[in-house]
Amino acid sequence: MNPILTFVVVLVGFYGLSTSKNIIKSIFSLTIVESGIILLFLNFGSINRGSVPIVSELFEKVVDPLPQALMITTIVIGSTVTALALMLSIKLFHQYGSLEWKYILRRKDSD
Amino acid sequence: MIKLIYIPVFLVFIPIVFSMIIFMIRSRFVTLLAFVAQLAITILAIMYFSEFRFNYMDTMFTFGGWNPEVGIGFLNDEISMAFVFLTVFIWWMVLIYTFFFNQQHRNFLFFIMFLEGVFLGLIQTNDLFNLFVFIELITVLVTILVAYEKAGNSIRAALYYLLINSTGTLLFLLGIILIYYTFGNINISIIKGMMSDPALSDNITVRLAFVFIFTSISVKSALFPVFTWLPRAHAVAKSGISALLSGLVVKGGLYVMIRVTLMFSPAGYDISSILLIVGLSTALVGVIFAMSQQDIKQILAYHTISQIGIIVVGLSFIYGKGFTGGTLHIVNHALFKILLFMSAGVIARIYGTKKVKNIRGVFKTMPLVSILMIVGMLSITGAPLFNGFISKSLIKYDLEGVSYWLLQLVNIGTATSFVKLSQIFFGPKVELTKKPYIKEVLPMTVLALACIAFGVLYKPLVELFLNVDISTVKNISLAYVIEYIIFLGIGYLIYTFFIKKFHHIVDRIRNVLISFETANILFLTYLCILIVFVVLLP
Repeated sequence: MNPILTFVVVLVGFYGLSTSKNIIKSIFSLTIVESGIILLFLNFGSINRGSVPIVSELFEKVVDPLPQALMITTIVIGSTVTALALMLSIKLFHQYGSLEWKYILRRKDSD
Repeated sequence: MIKLIYIPVFLVFIPIVFSMIIFMIRSRFVTLLAFVAQLAITILAIMYFSEFRFNYMDTMFTFGGWNPEVGIGFLNDEISMAFVFLTVFIWWMVLIYTFFFNQQHRNFLFFIMFLEGVFLGLIQTNDLFNLFVFIELITVLVTILVAYEKAGNSIRAALYYLLINSTGTLLFLLGIILIYYTFGNINISIIKGMMSDPALSDNITVRLAFVFIFTSISVKSALFPVFTWLPRAHAVAKSGISALLSGLVVKGGLYVMIRVTLMFSPAGYDISSILLIVGLSTALVGVIFAMSQQDIKQILAYHTISQIGIIVVGLSFIYGKGFTGGTLHIVNHALFKILLFMSAGVIARIYGTKKVKNIRGVFKTMPLVSILMIVGMLSITGAPLFNGFISKSLIKYDLEGVSYWLLQLVNIGTATSFVKLSQIFFGPKVELTKKPYIKEVLPMTVLALACIAFGVLYKPLVELFLNVDISTVKNISLAYVIEYIIFLGIGYLIYTFFIKKFHHIVDRIRNVLISFETANILFLTYLCILIVFVVLLP
């Protein structure tokens, strides 16, 4: 996959982050940025077009395994963040009855 | 007998393992295990410090004995050891302060102890990707701690915090990718060694990597255009947690900034002017917003932003006295800001309100708490003989011209808003049913004594921890006292003749709302400006 294309995915995510007025859409955009970055890193790791990094006689040339190990960790962290954000937005919807950033942030506290 | 070099691993895992035990066993007495864990890591940290004080190069090791080029390693130096001791000390104070709440809410204690382990890991790691993992873990844990009350305003603050910080941290990952692409390695000390080779470090990829990493750390440590999450998150959390976040967890971002700036320093990018501008604007904006607030915790949260700006101004002189001053101000700010947040928490709990105009007569009602809070106020406004003064004069040492006077303006603003906050002390005695607990006053007393100790015994303390000689700084003289009194006078004048008179301007500043998408646009603008000045112009 072309690195330019993955960078475009990142930019699409940032466009979503800076225009969407809905919380769920913001969370989606964050996930898109993250997917783009993961694809970019995997791309740089397999720049020699080798095969899977398994020690075996079948494969002569293998790709760098470190980016793949790091990106699995990133995927785990990303899913944690997404799950937490979605849980918080459900709670927020129960409290305020809306998912629009402007409406929620403008509400005065009763305290 | 354990080998002393593996102590950093124990420092990370003892709090985490104990937090899990606390979470699993259902008993009231199990909360005392937190103090056992604290005692263990205090002793281990002191043993480690006395062993490796003079040869920090020996502290480097890699997990599983792998080659440092591929393995994950830990490394300590003067600054990181100072941070380790600061962290352990602050957690002692916060655990004692939140003792009663923790006994009923063991889940809460679980998250606090887990956060301590992760924070100690952030401080000691020597691996860029590990740094990313720890930053993201801290973000998740802090989100849960902020949202713990499950009220609407705390959940929205937590969500805002989580999304903005995750966006910032993803840029850190992008920076790591570019560094790995160039150097083939993510070990901080090895990269630092390779940075001095201009063929590698002076190309556009590494400069871009620097900009990405710096931007993400700016979000984490709440610098000027991207600070909007901080006052929300820090003002709605519980008082003990606000103290912890404002005092220490924000400093995690600044610590990473120190680490990264030192890592890129052999490459010789000229970033000191950028840091100076960013720091001064952060300090000014923070203090302007702080002057307009009415909520006691909001005032303190905005002051955190302005003090962070002052710290960044100090850090901009990488090879000067200002750098020591910035590092010292991180420690000092942690001490006095936690003291202020704790006393604000006691006052807010007893009076049942957080609005400054509804709180009067604190001095006659609670004399001890008031005296402790006044110590904190004197420290933050930079009174001679208190700790804020020492680090502020170190930071001012290298400044000249316009930036010096802008910093003095920030000091005047700080004095103004604390003159405003000190209105709560005056007035007649109020009859109240609640009283401050001894377990809340005890850590505040210790913190106040620490503030004074760092103001008086600063020479031996700084030499012990940072190994820097600062005996040229004096902590008292007639000129300093006169300067301080003039600042307080100007602050009082601004308060009576401007803030009290022009309600509509102050209200308008207070009601500025920066929505999530606007915050992201600010973030991207900041990134673009940095790209232009660091990557494209040279």
